[in-house]
Amino acid sequence: MPSSISSSKSPALVYLRVLLGICAILVLLLEICANYLLKQDSETYARVSQQYAEAVKVRSSRSGEPASVLMVGNSLLMEGIDVDRLQELTSSKMRIYPIFLEATGYYDWLYGLQRLFRQGARPQVVVLGVGVNSFLQNSVRQDYAPMLFFDVRDVLGAAADLNLDRTATSNLLLAHLSVFWDTRSVIRTQVLRRMVPHCKELFSLVKPKPALPPAPELAAITTARIRSLRQLCEAHGAKLILLVPPTPSSEQSVRQMAIASEKAGVDSLVPIDPATLSERFYQPDELHLNSEGAALFTSALATYLPVEIGGPKSASSPD
Amino acid sequence: MLFDSPAYFLFLIPVVAVYWRLSHRAQNIFLLLASYFFYGWWDWRFLALMIASTTMDFLIAQRITPSRTDSNRKKWFIFSLVLNFGILGVFKYFDFFTGSFSSVLETLGIHHIPLPLIRVILPPGISFYTFQEVAYIVDVYKGRLEPAKSFLDYGLFISLFPHLIAGPIQRPGHLLPQVQKDRTFDADRFFDGLMLIFSGLVRKCVVADNCALLANAAFGGQFGPSNFWVVLIGTYAFAWQVYGDFSGYSDIARGSAQLLGFHFMVNFRQPYLSHRLQEFWRRWHISLSTWLRDYLYIPLGGSAGGEWKISRNLLVTMVLAGLWHGANWTFVVFGAIHGTVLAAERYFFPAKTKQKDAALPQHSAGVFSLWAQRILTFNVFCLSLAFFRATSLPAAVQFLAGLSNFAWRTEYASAFFMLCLFSIPLFVVDLLMEASNQEYPFATAPYSVRTALAAFTLIILALFSGNNLNAFVYFQF
Repeated sequence: MPSSISSSKSPALVYLRVLLGICAILVLLLEICANYLLKQDSETYARVSQQYAEAVKVRSSRSGEPASVLMVGNSLLMEGIDVDRLQELTSSKMRIYPIFLEATGYYDWLYGLQRLFRQGARPQVVVLGVGVNSFLQNSVRQDYAPMLFFDVRDVLGAAADLNLDRTATSNLLLAHLSVFWDTRSVIRTQVLRRMVPHCKELFSLVKPKPALPPAPELAAITTARIRSLRQLCEAHGAKLILLVPPTPSSEQSVRQMAIASEKAGVDSLVPIDPATLSERFYQPDELHLNSEGAALFTSALATYLPVEIGGPKSASSPD
Repeated sequence: MLFDSPAYFLFLIPVVAVYWRLSHRAQNIFLLLASYFFYGWWDWRFLALMIASTTMDFLIAQRITPSRTDSNRKKWFIFSLVLNFGILGVFKYFDFFTGSFSSVLETLGIHHIPLPLIRVILPPGISFYTFQEVAYIVDVYKGRLEPAKSFLDYGLFISLFPHLIAGPIQRPGHLLPQVQKDRTFDADRFFDGLMLIFSGLVRKCVVADNCALLANAAFGGQFGPSNFWVVLIGTYAFAWQVYGDFSGYSDIARGSAQLLGFHFMVNFRQPYLSHRLQEFWRRWHISLSTWLRDYLYIPLGGSAGGEWKISRNLLVTMVLAGLWHGANWTFVVFGAIHGTVLAAERYFFPAKTKQKDAALPQHSAGVFSLWAQRILTFNVFCLSLAFFRATSLPAAVQFLAGLSNFAWRTEYASAFFMLCLFSIPLFVVDLLMEASNQEYPFATAPYSVRTALAAFTLIILALFSGNNLNAFVYFQF
């Protein structure tokens, strides 16, 4: 007998109901506000969702037409490539469809590309450009990516690949389903930017810098991952090219990445040897190319990428 | 599932809704199943271990009660202790002791001795439920408690989900009778439970998770090589992280229990307002410190005997308390620092009158002197946290060695600002609670004020809680 519930109409019970009601309304309001803010104010959302929508429509070009190239990557490409300039320099040979989202890595793009292909995207060439660290990281971006790149099956697939526990999986799933949950770290960052002086510099400093695994392990992981990407692209009639953007002191890992790529039967493209770039080509964060470095990288890419696209598998490094 | 994840609330809400519609016995069956589901959410294999250990202790307790004239009573008691600490030792400490022994042998020039390593994942909450089982066995053996007649009641006492993973460690004399008796819905207590959950979420998701960014960066080397400022940022940020994290967990646990009609003991009472380390341990993780006092320190001899014996007892208790936190020498040093300082405090500041355990000392010193002592105590605790947080002893020593270097970077100012942004509000809340002796801020304010406060809390949570899931620090213990 359910005898334990009191039927009293005490103020506590009244306010309890009010409080639960407020909680429900606030949750609803947060979702609506996050949705509104995202669509009105978020440059990242506007950019990536537009790029994604265009990428879904990309189709294989007919003979004689410029090749359709889907170019995906993270901030290294976003800051390092002047896409308009690259398109201008290579307009007769290729049509570029970029999707760049900061802080993305292998798993974001593995599942992002799977979904794009499922939705009908059929590029002739897929160019993936992320740094070695990002390529090796065992995570997906917790904001934007679950909402923009994944559907439910991708979320579950990524969670299984990453050995996420059930709590982390349910969080990722919720990030796919709820705009507020997906963007709450973006909201926090925006609030803190307005409150903490030099917050941007502080946040770029406190960002954890993942250590690379030892060389043999690195080679094995990289080869397996590149192979998976190649199989995915080939299954949908696309050629995969691995673009390795320069970062300071990354010569060794770039070389290992190129070797792993060759083992996996994928063309890798290193338009600029990182050893040839001095500090002056990088931003103060010592990671991304500045405008001068970007101009150099874009020109080099405009020279070598059409060659890669046109030709069969070749030794791709300019050095 | 973690208390700060939506999955937990998707679990808690239907559990509470169904629970209050059931009769007492059905409530207990339902809660036991829900608690096993909660525990099995991590890994079903560890559930079998917990059920086996619970069953063994339930059966042994029937044999060791003083009312039985069983000649083997003592043997069963010792068997139970060996079993409980054996399971804990194997799962938590086996690799640590094997590894340490291997290092000693290598130091002595003996190499390549094949020592076995288990390399199992630590079952969640094993330290917490083992301590609860041991307390039950000891209390039954000493005749302080009647053994539970029903496995259902005992199983629920051990596995009740709000305390299962990271405490507070419940005393059998406090929780078991609550399990056995009828529970009635009390809207006031339900309301307070919700307020405790909101308070806990802010402590964890706003204070702890944001301070964790700074602490991780300082200890991880992102601020550059260690120096005075990095040590300050790292230890202070970690102090607020671990406090926000664990007191937040405790609040959510207590709040969740209150939604189900249970009362859990208070686990934190404004610890950073302590003026001595002795007082600190009466305010910090109270459920553990009182457990250690009653089941370790007092059986060792406690405060009886000469100063040397008392100091030894303190040191042994605190070193074991340190080791309870994790299988690493860093935790042993953490405990040793606390044991040494506690012994020194006893020597230099002998207690004038014996105080009751629950009562906090009355401060007779002047305001300036009191605050100076509070600041000193806080800094001693922060210093010990360098060992608690570092991954190894050399890493901790290297981190602290930076104290003599005062090189400044502009980002440090932003880090201090951010630290103040998240720690000062919690500090102010602690001052308010200290003055009012309440369980959460404004606990006796009118309902309308508290409802508004809850709404404000939700907005703060929405604005400042990060996305990256940081597991509760105490989950690993």
